[in-house]
Amino acid sequence: MSTFNILLPIVALLLAFGLTVAIPDEKGLIINLDTGELCLQSLQCKSGCCYRDSGLSLARCAPKAAETQKCSPLHIYGIYYFCPCESGLTCEVDRSIVGTITNTDYGYCKDPMDTKK
Amino acid sequence: MLGLFIELKPGDWEMLMFSRRPSCRQREGIERKLMGTSSKRGTKPTPYSFGSIRDKNESGGAVAVRILTSDQFPKAKMISGLWLVALLLGAAKGGEVCYSRIGCFPDSVPWSGTVERPINHLPQSPEKINTRFLLFTQQNPNSFQEISAINPSTISSSNFRTNRKTRFIIHGFIDKGEESWLTDMCKTMLQVEDVNCFCVDWMGGSRTLYTQASNNIRVVGAEVAYFIDILSSTYGYSPANVHVIGHSLGAQAAGEAGKRRKGIGRITGLDPAEPYFQGTPTEVRLDPSDANFVDVIHTDAAPMIPNLGLGMSQLAGHLDFFPNGGEEMPGCKKNALSQIVDIDGIWQGTRDFVACNHLRSYKYYSNSILKRDGFVGYPSSTYNTFKTGSVFPCPSGGCPLMGHYADTYKGPITGGQKFFLNTGDEKDFARWRYRVTVQITSSSDVQGYFHVSLYGVNGNTRQYEIYKGTLKSGSSYTGFIDVESDVGILDKVKFVWNNNVINILLPTVGAQSISVQYGKDGRTYRFCGSGSVREEVLQTLNAC
Repeated sequence: MSTFNILLPIVALLLAFGLTVAIPDEKGLIINLDTGELCLQSLQCKSGCCYRDSGLSLARCAPKAAETQKCSPLHIYGIYYFCPCESGLTCEVDRSIVGTITNTDYGYCKDPMDTKK
Repeated sequence: MLGLFIELKPGDWEMLMFSRRPSCRQREGIERKLMGTSSKRGTKPTPYSFGSIRDKNESGGAVAVRILTSDQFPKAKMISGLWLVALLLGAAKGGEVCYSRIGCFPDSVPWSGTVERPINHLPQSPEKINTRFLLFTQQNPNSFQEISAINPSTISSSNFRTNRKTRFIIHGFIDKGEESWLTDMCKTMLQVEDVNCFCVDWMGGSRTLYTQASNNIRVVGAEVAYFIDILSSTYGYSPANVHVIGHSLGAQAAGEAGKRRKGIGRITGLDPAEPYFQGTPTEVRLDPSDANFVDVIHTDAAPMIPNLGLGMSQLAGHLDFFPNGGEEMPGCKKNALSQIVDIDGIWQGTRDFVACNHLRSYKYYSNSILKRDGFVGYPSSTYNTFKTGSVFPCPSGGCPLMGHYADTYKGPITGGQKFFLNTGDEKDFARWRYRVTVQITSSSDVQGYFHVSLYGVNGNTRQYEIYKGTLKSGSSYTGFIDVESDVGILDKVKFVWNNNVINILLPTVGAQSISVQYGKDGRTYRFCGSGSVREEVLQTLNAC
């Protein structure tokens, strides 16, 4: 509930800027956000990853993780400490209950085709 | 008013000369200074009297004081009369201000009264502008030593060494010398080389009206030139070892320094300021004649009206770089909130909110110090021809590197050459450009797009889109990618495609061959694959 109270003014601000600043269709204010723009949910980002450093820092859209980079598997929160992998890659991670709840299941992006051979 | 001017005593004409209406305090200050200079220079310490004429001393740029004898009075009176006429005819035109050490600054054409420079201002006094030289060296990389050319003992007692190159960094409008970008640039340089790095502060002259600040840079340029003069006269330090880096108005100040002290080794203009400089004669603005080598980075070259572009689009150096086309930088089109609430803090965010494109120039330069090959500039006439790849890879003579290593360019340095490249949207800005040609095979024609990622000895890149549209079996598609890291010699590539819609036929697409050419050295790698894969499945291609 408290996070909702914090997020509400941010959403209101985003809406306010949306009304004052006319922005061409290509990029969005609420969805279709570019890398580096503030976000609340990965669905808003073009890249599909809303990223933040720590639980206290602001989240911004970021590119997805490339192969061999650190990553998180997809999860319900929609904000990541490490972005999910690019297409075709899987984030290999030992899921744990604590990790799933605290959003701290980290792994490295791997190509599943490499291990099949 | 007129009657007041008619009975001009010889001593009065220089009052007109100093400024339109100098205050008593200003005049006293100037007189005191002149006396100090004359006595120090060994001339007779005469009391400063009326009717003195000052002219620029060629050797030191200092001002000599000549005392008129009584038989010269009529001449002086005549001159003053002429001045009066000139003043009345020119209505406020033809003012001039003189300062000890650095000489006189007229505000006649082309300094004002032209279309480009309609409002006239004389430069403010050196005391007001207060040009300071803040030295960083490898002995003191974290805190600066303040040095003054007026007091050369501060140079000898500092960490300044004559066996090193010297680089000056001059900031622009509103900025200050202690702003983090200047000090950070010095610190970054000291990681890779042993130099005397000076941050030049002129905050006293930069935080005023733009029209005033754009004239104050003449004093800043003169101060830098004077500093170089002192270095060469007291230490025999050649100006060819000097590199002056200026951002915005600072770039124009660097040009002024180069005009006053010929033979400066290099000037780098980081998005030189456009208003009051673009289209003016070369004596006003930065141009290739100001140093042995002038390189310019344009990042905000869109016109001032109506796009609010703050940088010059006019070519100003031997090499002119236009990263991302020179007008719109990636990462500068964020919404206001995202721009201001920056990762580097509200202050950096606010700076970018006001002038993001304009400030990118020094960010690229700073980044280039550590990422030598990440800023290869390709010769081209327009950005569009660069994007289509008509000049790719680099010609046999090589391409220049934008930023810090631009002076390693071996090609002809003729002036008026344009170079294009793409950069990243946030730091690191460095990019490595490749041409990728992919021949595909597919089970049926599908609408979709495919990505390629490069794998080399130093790691791998992200996936980059090569083509989007109808994927036809047997066709080959070419795209240019600017990858975010230097992977070195390539050993494999991976191909992945995606469909935009759900396709129940479950088509497969594969890459038969991929050739990758690195832009900097033209080296081509060929990779072969077999078969085809479903969407979102990576296909690995090895060298063949």
